[in-house]
Amino acid sequence: MVHLAGYGDATYSDSQNGNGAFSAIRYNPIFHYQYKDLLLMEVEFETQIDEAGATDFALEYGTLDVFLNDYMTLLAGKFLSPLGQFRQNGHPSWINKLPTAPVGFGHGQAAPNADIGLELRGAFPLGDNARFVNYAVYTANGPVLEIDGDEIEEIHTGGVTSNDDDELVFGGRMGFLPIPMLELGISGATGKVAGMLEPDATRDYDVYGFDFNYKWHNVRLLSEYIKQKVGASSNSAAPDSASWDAWYAQASYRFMPTKWEGVLRYGDYDSPHSSADQKQWALGVNYLFSANAMAKFAYNFNDGLDGAASDDNTFQAQLSYGF
Amino acid sequence: MNNTLLTRLNIRRFMMTGIVTAITFSGAFIAANAGESEKSAGDISRGTISWGQNCARCHEMRDPAEFRDDQWRSIVAHMRLRAGLTGQQQRDILAFLQSANNPVPKMVNVSSTKVAENNSVSAQSGKAVYDKTCIACHGTDGKGALPGVPDFTKSDGRLSKADEMLLQNITDGFQSPGSPMAMPAKGGNVNLTDGDIKAVLVYLRQSFGQ
Repeated sequence: MVHLAGYGDATYSDSQNGNGAFSAIRYNPIFHYQYKDLLLMEVEFETQIDEAGATDFALEYGTLDVFLNDYMTLLAGKFLSPLGQFRQNGHPSWINKLPTAPVGFGHGQAAPNADIGLELRGAFPLGDNARFVNYAVYTANGPVLEIDGDEIEEIHTGGVTSNDDDELVFGGRMGFLPIPMLELGISGATGKVAGMLEPDATRDYDVYGFDFNYKWHNVRLLSEYIKQKVGASSNSAAPDSASWDAWYAQASYRFMPTKWEGVLRYGDYDSPHSSADQKQWALGVNYLFSANAMAKFAYNFNDGLDGAASDDNTFQAQLSYGF
Repeated sequence: MNNTLLTRLNIRRFMMTGIVTAITFSGAFIAANAGESEKSAGDISRGTISWGQNCARCHEMRDPAEFRDDQWRSIVAHMRLRAGLTGQQQRDILAFLQSANNPVPKMVNVSSTKVAENNSVSAQSGKAVYDKTCIACHGTDGKGALPGVPDFTKSDGRLSKADEMLLQNITDGFQSPGSPMAMPAKGGNVNLTDGDIKAVLVYLRQSFGQ
């Protein structure tokens, strides 16, 4: 059985000190190849146009999933990071209630994006059908540091097929669903990490986080905290330790019986670079054409380093569609 | 042998243990695969509730009639992993969605007799039907657990309509004005009988009607 799913979106952005532009067009097809109830191969490609007009094409994730039994599935390949909620479940534009990711939850920021390795995930019930625990544990190559001069420029968590530090990362998440529509999650990972051109300069790598997701009638509440930190390494050109942490809280309300929805989100991101640090209030209004098609309009009140792009307030309008 | 090397060897041993464990699980699964048919089949009633309680956690509810049965099979397998569900929940939800897709012959014999006056049905059996098939979307209080689901307790709401119309709506499926999703025929449970549908309407009127 072969099945095509996915999502796409088109975005217009403007900012206080920048130019208004149709800034993003993205199409993410997801292919499912299923063999009986034994195997599922999932592949998602991300295609988008960059600022120069060239087309970026990337493998968002690609896994071979073996359903071991009712409680365990083994995934091999490149998988979305199971740490937290937004990166693994909330980021598709037809699901995300705002045109942008929460601050600190984008690529190369506080929340790990993806990794390459093995993952075991599943769930088991707690007495009845409504209450259960789900889990994901994994071992993978882990992130890579981009070193620029004597600073760590970025932590790359998009998944690489190399492992210069010769140590794998181990981690996982456990989600508790004590009542219907409520999920509480706890995440953590540990291992070693090195710079792209500094394989001998290994350092400790640790992640921990918490997440919350609750739906009640027309109200949806989300919150998440994540922190990545790397230790010091005297062998590195950038010997100091560094950390990236971010959190957000979001509430959305659907004005029934209309198709309009309001969204409010606050987020805070801290990184080793003050120019990237940001606090943000995001206020959005959505029009839902259907469950999987949405027009979003959002204004972001940003607070960052004076003069930096992170301090500019921004406006976005986005059309998104999930199929 | 220095401490660093010892640490590295311990991590590798741990990793190898994990891989061996995974392979063991895989072998156990393959061995058990012959008994796949022994797994509990999907249950439509449980599936209705699991679908209502889990899918809306992350996204808007998709219409059960949006995809074909074979498409739902792959989608629900994918969603088992994304939503962190058990294999039984996967089968239950798939049973509900595929049931909701099946065209239902019109079985209800609509008459001018009000269901509350019909001695052949009871609110007690209606409650059982409601708890198994309707409660996921309509809620324990009848006010609607999901956006767009009508509030039965409103005096000018759905229950102000005539029995004939409500029986027809339950049997054929119905989309409330402004609702993003239609109720599937028989609430998605093809096993509901004429008597079940009448019984649940009696229960609705007695429990939530004004």
